[in-house]
Amino acid sequence: MNGIHDLGGMHGFGPVVREENEPVFHAEWERRTFGVVNLAMGAMQIHVDEIRHAIERMPPAEYLESPYYEHWIYGLEALLRERGVITRDELARRVAELAKQEKK
Amino acid sequence: MAKDEHTEPPSAPALRIKALESLLVERGLVDPGAVDEIIDIFEKRIGPRNGAKVVAHAWADPEYMKRLLADGSKAIAELGFTGLQGEDMVVLENTPKVHNVVVCTLCSCYPWPTLGLPPNWYKAAPYRARIVIEPRKVLAEFGIDVAPDVEVRVWDSNAEIRYMVLPMRPAGTEGWSEEKLATLVSRDSMIGTAIPKVKA
Amino acid sequence: MPALPKDMVWTVVKTGMSARAEVKTPPRFKTGDRVVARNVNPAGHTRLPRYIRGKTGVVHRYHGSFAFADTRAHGQGDQPQHVYSVRFEARELWGDAASAHDALYIDLWDTYIEQAK
Repeated sequence: MNGIHDLGGMHGFGPVVREENEPVFHAEWERRTFGVVNLAMGAMQIHVDEIRHAIERMPPAEYLESPYYEHWIYGLEALLRERGVITRDELARRVAELAKQEKK
Repeated sequence: MAKDEHTEPPSAPALRIKALESLLVERGLVDPGAVDEIIDIFEKRIGPRNGAKVVAHAWADPEYMKRLLADGSKAIAELGFTGLQGEDMVVLENTPKVHNVVVCTLCSCYPWPTLGLPPNWYKAAPYRARIVIEPRKVLAEFGIDVAPDVEVRVWDSNAEIRYMVLPMRPAGTEGWSEEKLATLVSRDSMIGTAIPKVKA
Repeated sequence: MPALPKDMVWTVVKTGMSARAEVKTPPRFKTGDRVVARNVNPAGHTRLPRYIRGKTGVVHRYHGSFAFADTRAHGQGDQPQHVYSVRFEARELWGDAASAHDALYIDLWDTYIEQAK
């Protein structure tokens, strides 16, 4: 698809910004995302091409503005919903439960 | 496709991944211990020191260098660096006439077994967009001034072949052990955005 | 499939999952052949970026045959094809403002390219 991910040759993105001594993962949620997505893909025999295409379908502004591993979360959520493994409601309910627990 | 998904902004990624993990664990699809293990592997056990060993070995052993350039996967496997996102490797030799640099314009493809996981700059829009159209300008931002008569080759890893640059061995390293040579090889030099140098 | 246990993770990581797959017909192109990238604009998954479409290059190397990303992404199976490393001169891609010395290499599945005239 002629999506936002097809970036080769585009102008307007400014300098390449590098972080000195960048850690492999910046936060616990990035770690977890890396691990969960890889294991889920294995368990469900999801090809890397499928997750790439799910990520390509992110709304363009979100794709550009979100941190990298958020793309993986989006991709996994989309594939799980499309395959009927998890519904949007189930996910929303679990998120709400966890949010409540964190507030305590 | 996109509009019906956003009646509200998505929750913080930390909550979303916690929710996903808990649901997948409940369904017996994901084992949390396995998640811990793969995180540990890529955070602590696989990284660019692997690629540095490959480079140092090639610098020290001309026959190995020949094998490495002829069949990257096989030669890298001799040192034990195989697996996920590195099943099919091609090694690119930098020479006085040719400077190679690698990108994945479409996403973030990168040779995990030799270089570990890619840095954010490699995966973000500026590098992906610009390195193919203005490589010399981008390399200059990395501190590399490519002479006008040197050929810059940009490799877009858009399929499942993974690329690694074999930088030139710096002068002043005659007789160095492989271990010492490897200390000169930075992660960026194996992407093509740095050049190994002996510290004055 | 059940969850992969912790003690199998290292093996799976070290083994990987190569996308190489057999194709019974011989490759259409060889090193040195001039090819043109097709101008296709699929709504689905493709690994042919826009900046390559319609451009003419030279086959640098034959990589072998691999599962086709475009079909795998949509659950349509591997449908393997021959894959070539193709070299495009920078000026071919970007015009005369680009260096005359520079080039771009990209990996193209068989159906992404045609013989150049």
